[in-house]
Amino acid sequence: MTDPASTALGKLLLDEITPVVMLLPTPLVEERCQKNGLTFLQMISPFCVFNNIDVPVRTASEQPYRLRKFKLRMVYASDVQQPNVEVTKERLKQVITDAGNDEDSDLYLDPSPIETMSNSSRPEFVPTWFQYFNKEFLRSVSFSDHEAFDHPVACLLIVSSNDEDPINKFVDLFNTNQLPPLFNDGAMDPKIPKYYILVHDNQDGSSERATKILAEMRNTFRSNDCRLLCINSSQDGSVDHEPNPWIPHRSKASPGVHLGGLLNNEDIDEIKNFVRDLSSKDIIPYMEQKVRVLNQQVSATRKGFRNQIKNLWWRKGKEETPDPQSVGQYTFNSIESQIRVLGDYAFMLRDYDLAMSNYRLLSTDYKLDKAWKRYAGVQEMMGLTYFMLDQSKKDAEYCMDTAFSTYLRIGTSGKGNATRCGLWWVEMLKASGQYKEAAGVYFRISGEEPLHSAVMLEQASYCYLLAKPPMLRKYGFHLVLSGDLYKNCDQIKHAIRAYRNALSVFKGTTWSRIRDHVHFQIGKWYANLGRFDVAMKHMLEILACSHQSKTMQELFIKDFFQILQKTGKTYKISRLQLPIVNISSLSIVSEDHRTYGSAAAVSVKESVWQSLEEEMVPSLTNAKTNWLDLQSKLLPAKLKQSNVCVAGEALKVEIAFKNPLQLSIPISNVTLMCEYSANETLLDADSSSSVSQGAEDGYIATEREPSSDTSLFTLSEVDMTLAGGETTVAHLTVIPRKEGRLRVTGVSWKLSDSMVGFYTFEPELIKKRISKQKRKANQSTSKLEFLVIKSLPRLEGVVNNLPSTVYAGNLQRLSLELRNSSEIPVKNLKMKISHPRYLNIGNPEVLDVNFPACLEKKSSSVHKDRDLDTTKQSETVFHFPEGTVIHKDTPFSLPLWFRAATPGNVSLYLTVYYEIEDKLTVMRYRTLRMHHMLEVLPSLDVSFNISPCPTRLQEYIVRMDVINRTSLRSIKLHQLSSVGDGWQISLIESMKGIFPSGNLVAGQALSCFLKLKSVKTAETATAETSISKGDGIDVQLVHGSSEAIFDTQRPPLVNFHHYERVHQKTSPQENQSTVDFMLISQMEEIVNESSELPRTPQIFSHHVCHCSVTTKRPVWWLLDGPRIIHFNFSNSFCETKLKMTLHNSSNYTASVRISTFDSLPGSSPSGNKVGWHDMSSQPIDDKVPATDVTGTSTGKAVSLESVPPFIWSGSSTTRVKLEPNSTTEVFLLVTTFAPGTYDLSNYTVSWNLQDSNDAQEKEGTCQGHPFYLTILRQE
Amino acid sequence: MASTACFMIISKNDIPIYEAEVGTAPKKEEAAHQHQFILHAALDIVQDLAWTTSAMFLKAIDRFNDLVVSVYVTAAVHTRLMLLHDSRNDDGIKSFFQEVHELYIKASFTLLTVFVIILLNPLYLPGSRVTSSHFDTKVRALARRSE
Repeated sequence: MTDPASTALGKLLLDEITPVVMLLPTPLVEERCQKNGLTFLQMISPFCVFNNIDVPVRTASEQPYRLRKFKLRMVYASDVQQPNVEVTKERLKQVITDAGNDEDSDLYLDPSPIETMSNSSRPEFVPTWFQYFNKEFLRSVSFSDHEAFDHPVACLLIVSSNDEDPINKFVDLFNTNQLPPLFNDGAMDPKIPKYYILVHDNQDGSSERATKILAEMRNTFRSNDCRLLCINSSQDGSVDHEPNPWIPHRSKASPGVHLGGLLNNEDIDEIKNFVRDLSSKDIIPYMEQKVRVLNQQVSATRKGFRNQIKNLWWRKGKEETPDPQSVGQYTFNSIESQIRVLGDYAFMLRDYDLAMSNYRLLSTDYKLDKAWKRYAGVQEMMGLTYFMLDQSKKDAEYCMDTAFSTYLRIGTSGKGNATRCGLWWVEMLKASGQYKEAAGVYFRISGEEPLHSAVMLEQASYCYLLAKPPMLRKYGFHLVLSGDLYKNCDQIKHAIRAYRNALSVFKGTTWSRIRDHVHFQIGKWYANLGRFDVAMKHMLEILACSHQSKTMQELFIKDFFQILQKTGKTYKISRLQLPIVNISSLSIVSEDHRTYGSAAAVSVKESVWQSLEEEMVPSLTNAKTNWLDLQSKLLPAKLKQSNVCVAGEALKVEIAFKNPLQLSIPISNVTLMCEYSANETLLDADSSSSVSQGAEDGYIATEREPSSDTSLFTLSEVDMTLAGGETTVAHLTVIPRKEGRLRVTGVSWKLSDSMVGFYTFEPELIKKRISKQKRKANQSTSKLEFLVIKSLPRLEGVVNNLPSTVYAGNLQRLSLELRNSSEIPVKNLKMKISHPRYLNIGNPEVLDVNFPACLEKKSSSVHKDRDLDTTKQSETVFHFPEGTVIHKDTPFSLPLWFRAATPGNVSLYLTVYYEIEDKLTVMRYRTLRMHHMLEVLPSLDVSFNISPCPTRLQEYIVRMDVINRTSLRSIKLHQLSSVGDGWQISLIESMKGIFPSGNLVAGQALSCFLKLKSVKTAETATAETSISKGDGIDVQLVHGSSEAIFDTQRPPLVNFHHYERVHQKTSPQENQSTVDFMLISQMEEIVNESSELPRTPQIFSHHVCHCSVTTKRPVWWLLDGPRIIHFNFSNSFCETKLKMTLHNSSNYTASVRISTFDSLPGSSPSGNKVGWHDMSSQPIDDKVPATDVTGTSTGKAVSLESVPPFIWSGSSTTRVKLEPNSTTEVFLLVTTFAPGTYDLSNYTVSWNLQDSNDAQEKEGTCQGHPFYLTILRQE
Repeated sequence: MASTACFMIISKNDIPIYEAEVGTAPKKEEAAHQHQFILHAALDIVQDLAWTTSAMFLKAIDRFNDLVVSVYVTAAVHTRLMLLHDSRNDDGIKSFFQEVHELYIKASFTLLTVFVIILLNPLYLPGSRVTSSHFDTKVRALARRSE
C-alpha cells in the first residue's frame, strides 16, 4: 500500500486538519491590502503552505523527527465560529450552480461512450468540482466545540503603520468583547500566543515611521512577538506574477482587479519569510511545547493503574449529571478537553501514535459519559489516525462506521458532522480501492437535503463506475436518481449532465421503461433550457412507446408536439416510428400489357390469368424471331427485363401503416417519393449493369417535392387517421407523365406541419407481390424501378350491376362496359370468361329489350336468336363482332347473362384482349383483367324422383321436391319445364289444390307429382301431337295462369342449361332415357318504400339434368285387362282374359318366360341365381284405382289360405322372344270360382338376354306386379 | 404478495422478456420505470454474486429504500427471475420468501415448467418477449397464491 499521506484522503487531511491562526487586522490594514485587490488573509494565504519546511520536532517521548509538509490555516477572528446553516447552504448551492454554468459548453455534445470511460485508468471524467464541493462541505462544519483541531493555536494582531496610536490598537484588538464566542463560553482556550504585526505600505512613504513604531512595540510587548511587514513596494502597480499565486484565493467580487499588482518580488519574499518564520520559529515550537506539557499533565492524572481506577469511580459517580452535552461540562480546562487538544495537536504534528493513545483514552471516557457527539468526534479522529498510521484498515473503517452512526443517532445537530465523517470514510475506502463500499457510503450520506443528496448520489455513481468490475447499471441508476434530485432543485444543467451520462449506459437498452424515462426527461429539460433541437432528438426516441399505458402515451405525445412547436423548425425524419411502416406489406401494382379492372384482380395469381389468356394472347415464346427480326425484338426484350409502366397510367402502391400507440393519430400528406430520369428511353438491352448505371446517372433530374414539377410525374396524397393500435393500408399512386425511368424511392408523411417522416424503400427488403415476367437474367434491376413507356390506350371495363351477393339460380342481365380513354382506338377484341356456367355473353340486341319479358315464349320467331348460341364456343374464346373498334368517348357495351349456378363463394375472372391500332407503340396488345367475387346463397333445393307408372308403359310418375333454403325470402314457383323434345309433363292434380298460395316461404318444402310421358309413344298413340308438343314440355306451377310461360328453348336459358348439363353429367356414356328439368321461379324484391321504380321480380332457374327414367330392369311388362267383372257364377266359373304387354328396353334380344303359380306369390322359388331380383314389393305410390268393394282384405285373407281361390289357366309357362327395343303381347287366362277381389301377382317373369356380357343384366326373374281383379256377382 | 411487487424475467444479455406488476397495491404509472431501474441496477449485484455462490435463489440481494430485490438464477439458460417487493410487513415477506422458495423447489415446477415450455417452444426465439397470455395468468395466479 502506498503512503497514506499521498492518498487523496491523506492530502485532504494534511490540508484540512492543520493549525488555525486567528487574524485580527485593523480596517486600515485591510484598506492597504485592498490596493492589490486582496484582503490581508488572501494576501498571505498562498504562502501558508510549506512543502518542505523541515522543522525538527520531538515527540512527547523525546523521539526526534522532522516535519516536512506543513500548513497554517489563517482565519479571521470573526470567522472562528460555527458557520450559519443558511449561509452555508447558500454557499454550497452557489458552488453547484457555478459548476453547472461552467460546464455549459460541453452540455450539448454527445456523451462519450461508456467503454472508453471505464477503461481509462484515471477518472478524469469525474467532474473536478466535486473535490471543491466536498472541501466546502467539510468547512461548513468546522469550529465545532467538540473537537479541537479548529481551535486557533495562535493569534495575529495586525496594525497598519498609518493607524493612530498603534500600540493601543494592538491592545484593543485582542479585546475579549470582539473575540469569537467560542472563546467566551469556554470552549476554546483564550490564552493563546499573540503576535503583533505592523504592516507598512511603502506607498505611504518611507519606513521610518514604521521602524519607530516597531521599536515602540518591542518595548511594549515581547520583542520576539513583534514583526514588521512591508507591502506595496511597487510604485506603478503593474507587477505581473507568473503564475499568479492568488488566483485560487481570489474572491469572486473583484474579477477585474490586477491581483497583487503592487507587490513586487521583495514584498512577496518578505511575506514568505514572515509566514515561514512564524511557523517554524513560533507556532510549531509552541505546539510541541504544548503537547509536552499536556502529555505530562495527562500522564499524571490519567495514566497508570491508580488513575484509571480513580477515573472510573469518579465517572460512575457522575452518572446522574443531567446534561453532559453542554459546553460547560467540558471547558478547555477540563481534562477531557485537554486530552482532546493533546490528541489533535499531536495529530497535526504527525505524531499519530501519541494522538491515537490519547483518542483511545478519551473515547472510553466520553462513552462512559454518554457524550455522544464528542464520542463520535473522537472515533472519527481515531479512524483517521488509524488510516494515517496505515495500520489496521478494518479498525479504521470500524471507527468511521461507529462515528458515522453515532453522529446520525444524535439527530440534526450531528447531520453535518455525519456527512463530513462519511466523506472521509468514502475517501478512505476509495484509497483502498473499495469503490463499491464507497458508493454505499455516499448513498448513506445523501440525506434529506435534495441538492446535497444529488451531489452525493452522483459521486456514488462514479464510484460504481470505478469499481472493479465496473457496475454500469448501478452507475446509471444512481445518475438518474441524482438527476431527478438536481431537477427538484432547479439545477437543470446538472440534471441533464447526470442523465446524459446515464444515457451512455441505457442507450439502446431493451428495458423500455427506463429508456423512455431517460429520453423523455432529457428531452423535456433540454426544452426547458431552450435547446429544442437537442430536445427533439430525445423526444423522437420515445414516440413509438407502445408498451406504455395510454396516459403515458398521451403525456409523451403532448410534450412531443409542444416541443416540436417551439422548435419552429421542420423536421424530416427517416424511419419515423410514428406510425410504423410495415414494409413487408408493400405492394406495387404496375400495368404493362396487363391491365387490371380492379384491385381484386391484382391479387389474383398470375397463373390463373395466364391459363385464361393462353388462347387469346400471342405467345412471345412461341413467336420465335430470327436474327433478321432484331429490330422488332429489341423492345420486347427490354420490356421483359425491367418493370414497365405506361406514361399517364397510375402506378399503384399499397403500404400499411401501423399505429403503435393507443391514441389515435392523424397523419396527412401521405405520399410517395419518386425519382425520375429522362435519359433512359433507349438502352442497350443486353447489358443489365448499364441499365442501373445509366439510371443512376440520370438522377440529376430527381425531384422529391410533388409540387415542384408535375410534368414529370404526379403523386397522390392521402390523409388518414389511425386509431389506436390500428393498421391502415394507404393506397398511393404515382402517375408518370413522360417516358423515361421512374424509381419509387420511399414514402413520406406528415405527422404535423413541421414533422415529416419518410421511409426509404430498400430494394432487397421488398417482396413484390406482382411477379413480372421471369427475369432470371436480370437480378440487378430494382423492383422499384420502372421503365416508363409512351402512353398507350387502356381499356377500362366495368361489369354493371353485378351483385356481390345473390341467391342461387338467380338469372340476371348484366352488361360489360368497355371504355377507351385514349385517342388511339383499339380493335380486335376478344374475351374469355372463366365460368361460362355463371356468365354468358348475350346477343347485343338483348341490351335493348325488356329483360324478364324477353324470355317469355312467343308464338313466332322461335329460333331466331340461335345465331349467338354460345354453347358452340363454350371452351373457346369469344370474339367480339367483326369490326368492333372502341374509340375514345364511345363506350362499348356487351350484354352478359348471369346466373348464379351453385351456392358458395365464386371467383369470376374475365379477361379482355385488345390490340392497339397504332403500330408504332411498344406494345401491340394489352389485356384487361377483371375479377369479381360473388357470394351465392342457397335458394331452392329441387330434386326429382321418377318412378315408372305401374299402369302405363312409357309413363312415369315424377315427384318433385322443392325446399326453400333461404333464410327470409319467399319464392314463387313459376314453371317447370322438361328440356328437350323427348318428353312431356303434366300435373297430376291442379296446383290450386295442393299449393294454393303459390309462394314458398323460407324453409317451406313442397312435393308435387307430375306425369311424365315419352313423346315418342304419345306420337304413336295419339294424333294430338301438335298440341302436346306445344304445351307438354312446360307446366305452369302458378295458378291463375295469367303470366306467360318462359321459353326454355332460347338463350340464355338454353345456354345455361347446356352448361348445367355438362356440369351435372355424371357418367361418361350418353344415356338416352334421361330427362332434364328446369324449374323457373320468381322472388319478389324486398319491399323498399324509397324505390319508385316498378319492381321486377327476380328470375330464378334451377336445372336438374340427367334424371334417369329407367330402372335397371331391361324387360318391362304391363298386365292389362278388365278390373271389374260382373259374372253369374251359377253357370260356370269365370274366365278372364288378361293381356300382358312385354317390352324389351335393352339392346339385346331377350328371351322371356312367364311362369304362373297357383301357390302364394311370396313363396316363389327364386333360387340362388345370379341376376336381378326385384326386392321392392310395391311401387312407391300405389295408384291402383281403388276398388269400391270393401272385401279387399277378405280377398287377401282368402289368398292367404293354402288353396288360392283362382287358378291360372292355360299353359303355366309361356316363352316369348323379344327383339331389342320391341314390344309384344302375351295373353294370360285366369279362372275364378267365386266373387271377390283377387291379387293376380303370383307369377314371375324371367328373362335371359342373349349376347349380353353384363352378368347383372343377363338374366333375371321378377315377381309379378299386383293386379287386382274384382269379380262381382251378377244378379 | 407484498403490496408492491414487480416480477421480471431477464434473459441473456439482460434483455427483459417478461414483466408483470403483481403487487396488490394499485399500480402507479410513475413507479413502473422506477421498478425497472431498481431491478436493472440489481443485475450488477447478481453478476457479482454469481461468481461467489452456487445458490440459485438469492434472497434480498439488493435494496432501494424499502424495496427489496430477490433473484432466482436459473442454471441452464442464463436467465434470471427477479422479484422486487417491499418489506413493509416482515412476517409477510418472510412467509412470502418461504413460499416462493417452496414454489421454486416443489410447486414451481408449474412455473418452471411453463417457463421451460416457453423456452422449448420451437416458435419461441430465445430472448424475444414472452407474450403468452397463458404464462401471464399463471404467473399472476402464483403471485396471488403466495399472498
